[in-house]
Order: sequence, then C-alpha cells, then structure tokens
Amino acid sequence: MSRLEAKRASLCKSEPLTSERVKATLSVLKGVVTSCYGPAGRLKLLHNGRGGSVRTTSQSAALLASLPVTQPVSKILTTSVQNHVSCFSDCGLFTAILCCNLVENIQRAGLTTTTAITLNKHLLSLCTEYLKSEICACRLPVDFGSARPLLCLARSLLTSKPACLLTREEVEHVAALILRAFLLSVPENAQDRITLGKSVIVPLRGQRVTDSTVLPGMLIEIPEVQLMRILPIKKSDSFKVALFCASLSGDLSETGEGTVVLSYGVSLENAVLDQLLHLGRQLVSDHVDLVICQKVIHPSLKQFLRTHGVIAVDRVGVALMEPLSKMTGTQPIGSLKSVSPSSYGSVKDLCTAKFGFKHFLHLIPNEATVCSLLLCNRNDTAWDELKLTCQTALHALQLTIKEPYVLLGGGCTETHLAAYIRHKTRDEPESILRGDGYTQTELRLISEAFCSALESLAGSLEHDGGEILTDRKYGHFWSVQADSASAVNWPDLLLRCGCGLYSSQEELGWSFLKGTHHPFVPQTCLPREASESASDLTLDCFTAKLSGLQVAVETANLILDLSYVIEDRN
Amino acid sequence: TMAMAAAGSVRAALQVSEVLETIVSCCLGPEGRHILCTKPTGEVLLSRDGGLLLKALHLEHPMARMMVACVSSHLRKTGDGAKTFIIFLCHLLRELRTITDKEKDSLFFKNIQTHGRHWKNCCQWKFISQALLTFQTQILDYVMDHYLSRHFLSIFSSSTGKRTLCRSSLEMLLEAFFCGRVGRNNHTFISQLMCDYFFNCVSCESGFEEVSELVDDCFVELKVGVTGLPVSDSRIIAGLVLHRDFSVYCPAGGDIRIVIVTETIQPLFSTSGSEFILNSEAQFQTSQFWITEKTKAIMKHLQSENVRLLLSSVKQPDLVIYYARVNGISVVECLSSEELSLIQRVTGIAPFVLPQASSQYKISNTALVKFCKPLILSSKSYAHLGLISTCSFIPHCIVLCGPVQGLVEQHEGALHGAFKMLRQLFKDLNLNYVTQASDQNCTSSTHVHKNSRESNQLPEIVNSSNQRTYQGTVVKNEDELAKTHSYSKVYSNLVVSSKELETYIPCSIPEVTPATTYQTDQTLRCLSPNKASIIDDHEPFIESNSASSTRENTRIEISSENAKVTETAEKRSLLPVRYKSLEMSASQSYCFSSIPAGCVLPVGGNFEILLHYYLLSYAKKCQQSEEAMVSIVIANALLGIPKTLYKSKKGNYCFPQIYTRAVHALQTNQPMVSNPAGLESVAGKYQLLTSVLQCLTNILTIDLVINIKRQPQEIYHQDSEEEL
Repeated sequence: MSRLEAKRASLCKSEPLTSERVKATLSVLKGVVTSCYGPAGRLKLLHNGRGGSVRTTSQSAALLASLPVTQPVSKILTTSVQNHVSCFSDCGLFTAILCCNLVENIQRAGLTTTTAITLNKHLLSLCTEYLKSEICACRLPVDFGSARPLLCLARSLLTSKPACLLTREEVEHVAALILRAFLLSVPENAQDRITLGKSVIVPLRGQRVTDSTVLPGMLIEIPEVQLMRILPIKKSDSFKVALFCASLSGDLSETGEGTVVLSYGVSLENAVLDQLLHLGRQLVSDHVDLVICQKVIHPSLKQFLRTHGVIAVDRVGVALMEPLSKMTGTQPIGSLKSVSPSSYGSVKDLCTAKFGFKHFLHLIPNEATVCSLLLCNRNDTAWDELKLTCQTALHALQLTIKEPYVLLGGGCTETHLAAYIRHKTRDEPESILRGDGYTQTELRLISEAFCSALESLAGSLEHDGGEILTDRKYGHFWSVQADSASAVNWPDLLLRCGCGLYSSQEELGWSFLKGTHHPFVPQTCLPREASESASDLTLDCFTAKLSGLQVAVETANLILDLSYVIEDRN
Repeated sequence: TMAMAAAGSVRAALQVSEVLETIVSCCLGPEGRHILCTKPTGEVLLSRDGGLLLKALHLEHPMARMMVACVSSHLRKTGDGAKTFIIFLCHLLRELRTITDKEKDSLFFKNIQTHGRHWKNCCQWKFISQALLTFQTQILDYVMDHYLSRHFLSIFSSSTGKRTLCRSSLEMLLEAFFCGRVGRNNHTFISQLMCDYFFNCVSCESGFEEVSELVDDCFVELKVGVTGLPVSDSRIIAGLVLHRDFSVYCPAGGDIRIVIVTETIQPLFSTSGSEFILNSEAQFQTSQFWITEKTKAIMKHLQSENVRLLLSSVKQPDLVIYYARVNGISVVECLSSEELSLIQRVTGIAPFVLPQASSQYKISNTALVKFCKPLILSSKSYAHLGLISTCSFIPHCIVLCGPVQGLVEQHEGALHGAFKMLRQLFKDLNLNYVTQASDQNCTSSTHVHKNSRESNQLPEIVNSSNQRTYQGTVVKNEDELAKTHSYSKVYSNLVVSSKELETYIPCSIPEVTPATTYQTDQTLRCLSPNKASIIDDHEPFIESNSASSTRENTRIEISSENAKVTETAEKRSLLPVRYKSLEMSASQSYCFSSIPAGCVLPVGGNFEILLHYYLLSYAKKCQQSEEAMVSIVIANALLGIPKTLYKSKKGNYCFPQIYTRAVHALQTNQPMVSNPAGLESVAGKYQLLTSVLQCLTNILTIDLVINIKRQPQEIYHQDSEEEL
C-alpha cells in the first residue's frame, strides 16, 4: 500500500525574468562561464569543503556537472548546455555564454516577447543557412588526404583547455597522438557504411606528458605478481582467444524462483568445479592460448589452465568486453558447457609491456581498428582534464567525418557572422522579415542584440584587458595586448587574426569591436588557396558549433518566453 | 470539521477560477507564453499545456481541486481545451454572479421564508443548475443542429462521394492546434511534422480513423525523445524504433523473421512455488546438461526457421544470449508490455510458446521484417525494426529533439493531444434534443449533412403523436398529483434497432440528478407495467416504418417515458415556468442528429461568437424566461474566450472590431471568415462546452464543503463499517 502524504501547494511566480534574484543568478552564471572561455580562460577549483578530491577545470562538462544550480531559470540554461555537451562533447561554453548574452541583450532591447523570439529565430536561420552554404567564408572543407586540418582541430581543442597544463611541445605531442589514435580507429577498407573502431584511453598518472603514446590493439593491466606467472609467453604466429562473459568462479546462479533441496552429502560446489575443470579440458584440447573472463575465474581452473600453458586473465570488466570482442573476433561465451569452436577468436601477437609502474598484457590484433591511448599527465586533476579533452577531440574528429567541414576558430567565426547579419539586416531586411508583420526597426533592434551577443562572446576570449578589433574586409577577430595599446600604430601590433588565416599585411580597415559599428559587406566565398597557405590555423568542430549555436538561441528563446514559474516544494 | 461554503460556493469558485484564469490565460492562443514548472526532484518542465499546469500547482483549495479533477477528466476524453475550460468557467461564474446580484429578490426567493439564508442560496443555485441541465440536454444540441451546423466546414474533400482527408485542411487544423500548445517558433514545424507523420502512416485512404486510434493508444512507444539537439533536428523515421538497444546484434540480410517471447527460453531448475530435489551430484550435472542442450536446441531450431531477431519482455540468461549469438540471432530484451503489444497489433503475431516436448515443431508465430539494425540518436543506441504491417497503419516513428527534456516533453504532450483530437474528430458526435412539433420538422436538419458519408446514420424522427398516449396513462392518479407532476422529466430510454428489434442501445442523454427527494410511491409502482406496454404498443408502428425505409442502417427510436412525479408544494410554487413545459410536452418530438465526422470551424473564437449570436437570438424567441436567462448567461460567457484571445491585439484585430464584423456578417448572411488562418474541431469545442457546463452544475449543487481527516474511503462491503 502506498503511503499518502499531504502535498504542499506549489509556489507560483510571474514574469521571472524581471525578478532581481533571477537576474543576479544569471549574471553570476554568466561570469563563471565567460571567465573560463578560451586558451587564456581562468581555471576554476571545485571542491566540496569536506576534504574530498579537488578538481581544477575550465571545461563546461566538468564545471556544470558539479555546479549546484537550483534557480529554475538558470537550471534550464545549464541542463540545455549539458545535454548539448553529452551529444557533441565540444562547444559547451560557447553555447552557455551565447545563451546568457542573448537573454541579457534581448531583454535590454525592450521588445515584446513574441516579436523578440520570432525575429531571433529568423536571425538564427539566417546564420545556419549561411554556415551551411557554399559561399560561407568562415567554413573550410576538410580534405582527408591531408592530416593538417585535423591536426589543427585537435591542437586548437587542446590549447583551448588551459587546465590541462600543457606546454607548447606537449600540445604538439598530444595532438599528434590524438590524430593517430583517431586514424587507427578508422577501418582500412571501408564499405558504404563506416563503423569506427574504438580508442581506449588508458590512465597512467604521474608520468611526463611526453611519455604518452598510442599503441594498436589493447592493453590489459595485470598485477606484477600475476605477470610473473604468465611469463614466458611462447612464440607463435597467432594466438587463439576465448572470451567469457559468464562467471567462471563456480558460483551457482539462475536456479529459478523455486527452492532447490539438497540431499545430505551432495556438494554442488564440487559438481560445479568438476564442470569448470571439464571446460578447462575442452579449452586445452581446442588449443586455446588465452582465456579472458569479464568476471572471476576460479583459482583451481586458473591453476589448471596455467599448467597446460594457457594464459588466463580475469576481472577485465564490462567496459573492455566490447572492444575485446571486436578486436579478437570472438563471441563472448555465456555457457560453461560445450563451447562452440566458432566462438573463439585470435590475436596476432601477445606480449607484456611496462609503462611507468604498471604492467600490461598487450594484445596485438591482426587488423587494427582498436587502439589504446596511454595518457600521462603530472597530477590527477590535470590528467582528468586531459582525458576529457582527448575524448572531446576524438569525438570532434569523428563528427568531422560525418560533416567534412571545420569552422574558423579564435573568435573569427563569431565576428564574421555578426558582420554578415548586420549587412543582411541593413541591405535585405525584407528577405528576413518574410512578411510576418514586423517592422524594420524591430528587426534592427533584435539584430543589434544578436550581433553584439556574438561579438561579446568573441570578446570573452580576451581576459587580460587587451583591446579587440575587427577588420572591415573579412570581419575577422584581432586582438592587441593590453600594455602596448596606447603607444604605437595599430597595424604594427596586429600580426595575425584570431584563427590565423589572415595577416595584417593586407589593406584592412580596423574598428573596435565594442565601439560603434559601420556596416560593411564582409567578403564571402573563402578562396581555396587561403586555407592551404596558412599553416597554423585555429579551428573549431563544425557540427558541434552549429548545433551549439542553434541550441543557444532556442534556449534563450525559451527563457525569454517564460511567463510563470511554478515551483513544486514537496 | 465542517466549513460552510461562505456566501455560496459560487463566490468561492469564482475567486478560485479567477486566479487560475490569470495563470492559464497567459499561455492561451498563438501569443501565449511558457510556464516553467520545477519538480521536487529538481527536473524542470516547460509547458503551455493547461492540464499539466493545473496539476503542477498542487492546489489546496477544495473547489480548485474539484475544477482540476473536472479538467483532467475532460482531457482524458479529448486531449485539448484545458485552458479554455478554465476561462470559460470563470466567465460563466462571473455572469452568474452579476445576474444573481441583480435579481436578489426576484422570482427565485419570493416563497422561501422558513429556511436560513444559506440554504436559500443553495436552493437558488440548484435551480440554476437545473436550468443549465435543461440547456445542455435540449437547447444546446438544438442550436448546434439548427443554426450552427450551416456554418460547419469539413476536413474531408467529398468530391468523389468517398471521404478523403484533405491535406491542406489537416495542415490548417494542426497548425491552429499547435499554436496554442507549443512555443511560437516551433508550431509550424511541429504541425508539419505531425502532418507528414500522419500521411506516412496511413496506408489506404480510409485507414485514417484506425491510424488515429492506434497512434493515440500507443503514442509513447511511437516517439523517441532526444535531448541536446535543436528542435529542427526532429524527424520521422520509417519503421519502429524500440526504446532499447540490442543485447546481441548480428547483421542479417534477406528473409528476417522475428519472434516474441515473454519468458526465459532457458528452462530453470525450479519455478516459483515448486521444489527441486537433488539427490546426487551426477543428477545436478545431468540436469544442467539437459538445460544447456534444450536451450541450444531451441535456439538452433529458431535459426532453422529463419528467425533472426528475438524480442523478449524479460531478461534472458547468458546461456540464451550466447546461443543466440552463435546462431546469428539478434536479441532485444526487457521490452515493455506496451511495446510488445504494439508490435503484436501491427504484425498480428502472438508470443512464442516454448514447446514442452523436444520433438520437431513448426513455429507459426513469426513475422517478417524488412530490416533490423541499430539506430544511434545522440550517442544512444536503439533497435530499429522495419516491421511489415498487417493493418492500415504503416509503422513510423517520430524523433523529437530539443535542447532540454522539458521542451521535448512539451512537444510529446502536444502531439499526443493532437492525435486524441483527431481521433475524436474522425467520429460522428450524436446530438439529441426535444423540439416542439409545431416548430419545425426535424428532418430538415438532416439535409445539412447530406455530404457526409453514406453510412452515416441519419436520424429518423418518431412521430410525436405516438407518445402522447402514455402521457395519459402515467398521469391517471389523483388530481393533485396530476397537477404537480411538473417534473415529469422525459428520458428516452430505448433505442430500438431497425429490423428485428433485438438489441436495445441505451441513448446517451446525460443523467440528470433527481431534483427532488420526494417521489410518491404510486407513481413508482405504476411505472414498470407501463413500460412494458409501451413496447408492445409500438411494434406495429416500427414494422411499418422499417418496411418503408429504403436505407439499411436507419435507426428508429422509440422513447418511452420514465416519469418521475414529484409532490412538493414548495417546488410547485418555486418553478412556475415548469408548468408550461408540461402542457407543451404533448407536442414534443425527439430529434437525433449528429455532428458528422470531420466538422471544423475557422479558428479564433468563431465557434464562440457563432454560438453566442444564435443563443441570443434563441433567447429572444424563447417564451420561457428561465431558458432565456440561461441562454443569455452562456452566450455572454462564451464571448470571454475570444476576448482573452484578442486581448493584446490592437486596431482592426481588437476584439470589438472582430465581434462587430462577425455579427454584421451573420446578419447579412455573408461568410464570417473569407480565408481562415486555421481550423478547429467542432466536436472538440462542443465537448468542451458540455464538460464545463457539467463542472459548473457540480459546483452549483454543492452546499457544504466538509473537511475530513482521512482520504474518502471506497466502500466495498457492508462489513467494513465496523472500523468506524
């Protein structure tokens, strides 16, 4: 019988966005995410005040997961960003900051909600159409014949996460490893549908970052004592592998819901052990070289296998089962009796390896789509951050296969988009309004709010009081260091734009990003040679950023559209 | 403790409904905004759905709780109209208050001197509630059938004589529906999505009724919610997407067959309630061996029968999974019973029963699928099946994306509501009412619907003269009774089907709460023999009628009168109006008509303005002051809905302008809306109206609110009394 409890009435508040408390929480949230953004972002130290582990981070995934947000409006924002990150890994902070900026700017614009959100949507589709179109000048096609754009993408991702605490050389090293790991997971002979392999990240803390490495195949960690028993491994061309998902510990399971009555003197343990040894004999007679079990192997069976020269590894855990099965071509065995010979798989070679203080059994496959990325970093929290970054980078590379484009990073996409929208709303307002009954003034106001949200997002890349400019030819992002700002001639200080595509040699008109805007027509259609000439570009993942942009605008619209908050206090 | 409903329950109800009105009216109509609900678990829910909001408020006020209960029961039926419900109810209560304030000492109170003021109030409300009922059972349907029906449009294009669903009309209907349910930026997209979905799922032209029913029943299984993606990524996928991943996936081509299992395939040592006695270790090993061999044999056999996919409602043991993999059979486990029943409904197969004997057998319950593959949506994997349908529903799934769960849920709720609405729309809605025989011949009203489908059961009207005879037999008691039996309320109890007169279908006239507690024994006694005689008397009449009828499906209704005779002097004096109705009942005739399936009206308060207009004109013609009063109250309250709808509009689109234009069009017999922006279901509006009136009747008939410490107990047996 269920317990009945009196329900408390809910709390109902109208027009939540006008409330000072909500505004304050949103601006605190904005402050937190904005200060983390970009390569120069400030780190956040997360701790629970009771002596638990601490985490230094500047990534949205780690930050938002532990940030205690209770205020409902902020909660929408953070959940929305978290959901985006769980789908795309990248561009979480981008989404969060843009959303905050939009809410703030549009509220300030003082238009009615319906007008604001409709026009906002129109501007968003203007952006997405442009970004998807061929004339888009902030998008580069990725040619998989060259590794450079992919390497740039991986490098940009690593540099934008300062909490990894990497030096320039280390960034280069890890970026190359990430790219190798990614390439190893791509099958060699791809049919119409590519199934990517897996890159398993193996933790190795306390080592130098440059000790990190990528190995084809899989590494299974083994305690040193156990390793002694395995050695020496005989030489062979191929090793037969049996992979068990059922427990080989000799415990009884699945006897049904009824009761089992035992007569005196009957020992089921013995019976099961007999069975296990029988299985062992079958494995030996089938010439299996390596037995891997997800769960526990009974010591007697282990001993039996060892005496017959079969290597037994147990407790590998469920996470490794799928890549192991994929790599060796085995079917995980769920039966203790009569193992079908078709279930066995094989590996090309088997050896032991020592990295740092850890011992591993290294399984080298015949055909590699599974690889291990041994990742080292100085301390635990930096390692966690680096691992998260590597996962993000691998995911971003995978997304690039689906949509073979990258976006210009370093704030250039944002400023260019803003310039494009300004130009469009001024020159072709009718095409945006689509006869919805809104005036051009309303459109001008919203577009100003939208563009300045994008620009201040780009501006949050600068944390050291530097000056930010934009050129009036491409609409790219340029920054000048703070201390030298007042003294000399502008163009002398500006070397390259944010993404690194253009240098200040060319004739460009400059204007301050925060100052008044003189609309201009940004150059569209990126010339092909432009992308090929530059060597060191800052790039962003196309799919993640495009979706982040959409999610940010949709979430901002949702927040602006709230007229009541009903709080269930039960 | 008891609490008097201070100053009548109406005042309290009005206060409550006004508070609710302010909340719901902010999300009404195309300009409506969102409400954010937080759950105690920390989840946030975004909603424009009135029903959800009312529930989320956890209202404490008993009157409010009653209203919410009424709204929920209305929503279960129709899936739409919660916000309009509250707004209309609020306006009705407001209207009632103004007229009662005005008529404090008018006809209702003159004869009450002995009772306290409170009870006096209660009586007053009760009469109004009775008048409301009369309105609902007689006037409303009459006005709908006689006046409003000429304005109805149909969602079907009837050029060929067969009903075909018109895509552009459906689009307009859905667009208008989603306008009030989802965010301003998404309603076009969502309605387009739903429209595509619907037409994708319908296999043949006449299957839309079945499809709307199936989708409404199984909507939860037919949608997949994905968070973290923009709404515009939502799409339709051919085939069925199960909310689980494969436990085993073996790519297969060619002839793929599926089976459904509801138990573990591996035999177990003992089932619940039984004992398994082991006498030796060898016995244990043998039984284990037998289990393994048996499982192996079953799986092998499945494979030989071309089964490539096993759908299981339970978790299968490792052994089964292993042999499935060995035999190249994919497995999906832990499917919900709803998912399985959907698959069964679509494919027509029954669960696979494990054979008891080990002999060879043929598996009959398998179905063919076009494909079976994993589907990855935002890094979560699902099993995707290309089921081949045996009914008129072609399986498709809707993938709904949104940045937050709350928004996805909102879209799910709106879509589900839309399918409920369509389901209602595709059905005829019966109208029953009483007309004066002299007034008009009812058959004229049937001409209005002549474009509806052939099978539509057109009402046949019973000659009123046939009924008059029993009137006399009931009222052959003492003189006094004959005079007072003003309450001889007429119920039509019997609907006799045409040919054989075998089945008796009860008619769906809303049950009327007996108004008085006093019923004389004599009348009750004389009722039952009377009833029998009515049927006897009528037989020749029916036969003659059905013989002359050309149509197969014609229904002939006979109404027997279930007279309840009341005897209270008090009542007599209170309701002078009632007397007249008795005299006239002699010439009454019963009309059975319907709102045909697919009837729609242009959106934007058209239904309300039309009904308002015709109710007022009805009230003008109406001789009975009570009926007229109720009609005017309802007519005025109806205007509250368009008023709220056009609240923020200015200039040409403000409410007074729209109203004047509409009335002018009606007076000059011009079409009200030249090119409508959207459509709405008439049946839905009608049901909303009746639901609100029922709720109002409930409110008005309450005289005391009693606060009890325990939950109201359900009484099952007599002996449970002892507890108290």
